[in-house]
Amino acid sequence: MNAVPLRVLSEEPAAAARFGRRLAGHGAELRAAAAATLQINVGKKCNQACRHCHVDAGPLRTELMPDAVFEASLDVLARHPQLQTLDITGGAPELHPRFREMVARARALQRKVIVRHNLTVQFEEGHGDLAEFFAANRCEVLSSLPHYTEDATDRQRGRGVYQKSIEALRRLNGAGYGRGGGLVLNLVSNPVGAFLPPHQADLERDTRTYLGDHHGVVFDHLFTITNMPIARFADWLRRSGRYDDYMDRLEAAFNAATLPGLMCRSLISVSWDGRLFDCDFNQMRELGLEPGAPATVFALELQDLEGRRVRTADHCLGCTAGAGSSCGGALT
Amino acid sequence: MTAYFDDKDLAHFGDLKRHAPELWERFMQYYGPAFEPGLLTKREKVLIGFAVAQSSQCPYCTDSYTQQALEQGLTMQHLAEAMHCAASLRAGITLAHGLVAHNIDKKVSM
Repeated sequence: MNAVPLRVLSEEPAAAARFGRRLAGHGAELRAAAAATLQINVGKKCNQACRHCHVDAGPLRTELMPDAVFEASLDVLARHPQLQTLDITGGAPELHPRFREMVARARALQRKVIVRHNLTVQFEEGHGDLAEFFAANRCEVLSSLPHYTEDATDRQRGRGVYQKSIEALRRLNGAGYGRGGGLVLNLVSNPVGAFLPPHQADLERDTRTYLGDHHGVVFDHLFTITNMPIARFADWLRRSGRYDDYMDRLEAAFNAATLPGLMCRSLISVSWDGRLFDCDFNQMRELGLEPGAPATVFALELQDLEGRRVRTADHCLGCTAGAGSSCGGALT
Repeated sequence: MTAYFDDKDLAHFGDLKRHAPELWERFMQYYGPAFEPGLLTKREKVLIGFAVAQSSQCPYCTDSYTQQALEQGLTMQHLAEAMHCAASLRAGITLAHGLVAHNIDKKVSM
C-alpha cells in the first residue's frame, strides 16, 4: 500500500462574513447531525473540463486516491453501519483504477452506492460497459445534464458533450435504468451561468418531456444544484466581473428554511488524500473539520463527529439560496 | 451621468418612490401580485414580461426579464422564439393598421 503524506490544515477558515451574518440574523448555527452518508472523492482526474466545475477537475489532473486511503475509507464504511450510503465522486470517479472494486466492496457491505457519473466517461477506452456494471451492482446513478437543450449543455460542458450524454443515457436506459424497476437514474442540472437554478419540479417536467419526445430517454428524477462560487466557476465570475453581483444574488436569496436539510449536516466528505471535510465544497476550499475533530479518515470514529460545528464560508450561500441546493437537489 | 441608460440604474428603480410615495406603493401593490403565479405559471408570466420588454424596447426590463427567464430554466433559444413572437406581432400590427388606409382610400377615392 502507498504511504500517504497527509496535510492537516491549520490556517484560519476563509472569510465567512456574509454567510455568518445571514446565519446569525436567523439565530441559527450549523451543527452536524448523525452522519448517514460517506462521500468519497477518489480524485480530480476527469475526461471533461466543465466551466462550472468546483473541483477544477480535468484530463490533466493526476490526483487519485492512493491505496492506503482507499482501504481506510472502506474500513470506515465497514465499521459504521449507520453510514448507509456511499457517495462516490471525483473528477470522473470511474477513472480511478480501483473504482469498480470500491463499488463491489461497498455493495458487499450492503450499502447503497451512488455514483456521480458524467455520462461521457462511458466513451473512454475500457469504460464502454459501465451501464451494465452499474446495473449489475445496482448502483444509483447521478448524472449531470445542465439543460435539456444541446446549446446550453455544450456551452457549460464542452462541444459535443450533449450528443454523447444522450447516447450514454440511452445505454443506461438499455441496461434498465430510469424505467421504474429499481435501477435509479437521476439527472443533475446546474445553471449555465451566473444565476439561480429554476424550480426543480418545473425543470424536471420540461426535461422529461423534451428528452422523451426528442431522444426517447427516460430518467427518474432531476435535481437542480446551484453553481458554487469557488474554483473554476469563481474564476469565471471574477474574470467576467460578475463575482460581486453573483454573491449579492446568493445572499439576497438566503432562505433559512434550507438550513435543516443542508447536506453538511448528515455527510462526511473524504478527499482523495484522506482528509475529512463537512462537504465536497469545503474540501475544494481546503476548509477542514473544526479544530479538535478528526482530521483524516485514518482517525475517523463517527461518534467524534456528531454535533460538531460545521465550518462555513461565503460559498455556503450557494446551498442556502432560493430553494436550496444539495447533492440531492433542492431542499425546500 | 454619462449615458441616459445605465445597467446600474436598475437597482435604483425604488428611488422613484421618493417624489410620489403613495402612488409608488399603489404601483407596487399592483405590479407584484400581477406576476405571482395564478392560472398562469410564474414562468409564463416572466415570458410575457420579457416579450413586452422587447416590444416596448425597455433595456431595464429586458435585463431584468432575461435574467428572470434564465432562472426559470429558459434558454436563449426560448427567448429567441419569444422575440420573434413579439417582433412578428409588431409587424402584423403595423400591417393591420394598413386596413385604415384601405378604408380611407375607399372612402375618399373614386
